[in-house]
Amino acid sequence: MSSVSELYDVTWEEMRDKLRKWREENYRNSEQIVDVGEELINEHASKLGDDIWIIYEQVMIAALDCSRDDLAWSCLQELKKQFPDSHRVKRLAGMRLEALERYEDANKLYDSILQDDPTNTAARKRKISILRAQGKSSEAIRELNEYLEHYAKAAFCLEELMMTNPHNHLYCEQYAEVKYTQGGLENLELARKYFAQALKLNNRNMRALFGLYMSASHIAASPKVSAKVKKDNVKYAAWATSQISRAYQMAGRGKKENKCSVKAVEEMLESMQITMS
Amino acid sequence: MGEVELSCLAYAKMFLHASQFPRCSVNGLLLSSSPAEGAVCITDCVPLLHSHLSLAPITQLALTQVDVWCAQTQQRIVGYYQANACVSDSSPTPCALKIAEKIFEQCNNAVLLMIDGEKMFPGCRVPPIVMYERKDARWALKDKHTIMLRQWEETCSVVNQLFSSGDQALLVDFDSHLDDITKDWTNPKLNAKIMELVSPANGNV
Repeated sequence: MSSVSELYDVTWEEMRDKLRKWREENYRNSEQIVDVGEELINEHASKLGDDIWIIYEQVMIAALDCSRDDLAWSCLQELKKQFPDSHRVKRLAGMRLEALERYEDANKLYDSILQDDPTNTAARKRKISILRAQGKSSEAIRELNEYLEHYAKAAFCLEELMMTNPHNHLYCEQYAEVKYTQGGLENLELARKYFAQALKLNNRNMRALFGLYMSASHIAASPKVSAKVKKDNVKYAAWATSQISRAYQMAGRGKKENKCSVKAVEEMLESMQITMS
Repeated sequence: MGEVELSCLAYAKMFLHASQFPRCSVNGLLLSSSPAEGAVCITDCVPLLHSHLSLAPITQLALTQVDVWCAQTQQRIVGYYQANACVSDSSPTPCALKIAEKIFEQCNNAVLLMIDGEKMFPGCRVPPIVMYERKDARWALKDKHTIMLRQWEETCSVVNQLFSSGDQALLVDFDSHLDDITKDWTNPKLNAKIMELVSPANGNV
């Protein structure tokens, strides 16, 4: 089997940078991470400097996903040697036990972390994952509620997230989706505003664009709104429509293959225009 | 109630969808290009989501777009499938029941299909499927003998070939389409690959 560097003609630096990109963007393409990471660790460990520890962590988690316990174990050993009392490494050890379905042992590990540090949310989340994996959803929910005891609703959580991460368009967009799902005129208006905000932060977020279009259309079609509100929302929806059409036209340029999805969107936009007017 | 037939194409794409996102719940719509009378023939499927299945806007959007596409291609939405993230639990969630209800309003022999994650290992002899139908105002388990998967061995072989050739990565669901709209959720490339693999087995769809 040829190496990743041979197959893709990449240098070790490029492999390291790829791993970083996947880390930062939270990709869970575990098979690729294992392929690239394992080679990097085996062939180029000395060149990686301090990066190697976070790479061990990343590769270990990916290895668990791919049932590569051999690799997960060796990464874990290196981390244990370097950081003998770390809670973070302990959590990784717990994840390995979970992968081996040794839930009791994993729980013991997490409990010991929580004894030392009761605010350790990572350990708490792992305990909830175990309950879910065991199919004990009502217990998981109870634990989750305790963990979220200051947060009454998903919307509240997202509000907190948005406050601390004001530039994150994904939280904004998700909040809007929750509001839309809750329904009712007030929530729809909030949804529309947050979809718009998400678009301000990232004007290529298609979910936000469609969300804006749908919430504005629903508000405009509601019998309860004033003529002015209706007019404004028709404008917002029309703007969204033109942006969506443009995006799909650019996407469909020269590509015969996505004619289907492009046509479906066009027709959908047309049909919704009729219901609004 | 009636018989339900599941084509290789529909089964393969559902299976690929569930495999592509092993840590997530996934869902999708079941389609038929056959006439409305008689047995329900599920000839194709559209994979929809792998995140936030219970949030309304994207689900509504996807249903609308698939509806439009079906009208353009003479197909009907005849069911809904879902694979839960938790492999040991294949019971329908409230969200699944809601969507299936909606489909039932338009199609009176609609089916709700749950994928049984525990049976998805290679070499498993039985299809990893649990099907529900509408009976007495609730969703009841369908009699296994009314569910037809023609040429099950060939279907399994087609799926295995897709994995060994790496073509399973071609699958695009609606969620992925929204992340990159140049990707087509009608999956023409993958469909063609699957039909190529199926045709030696006597033109069975």
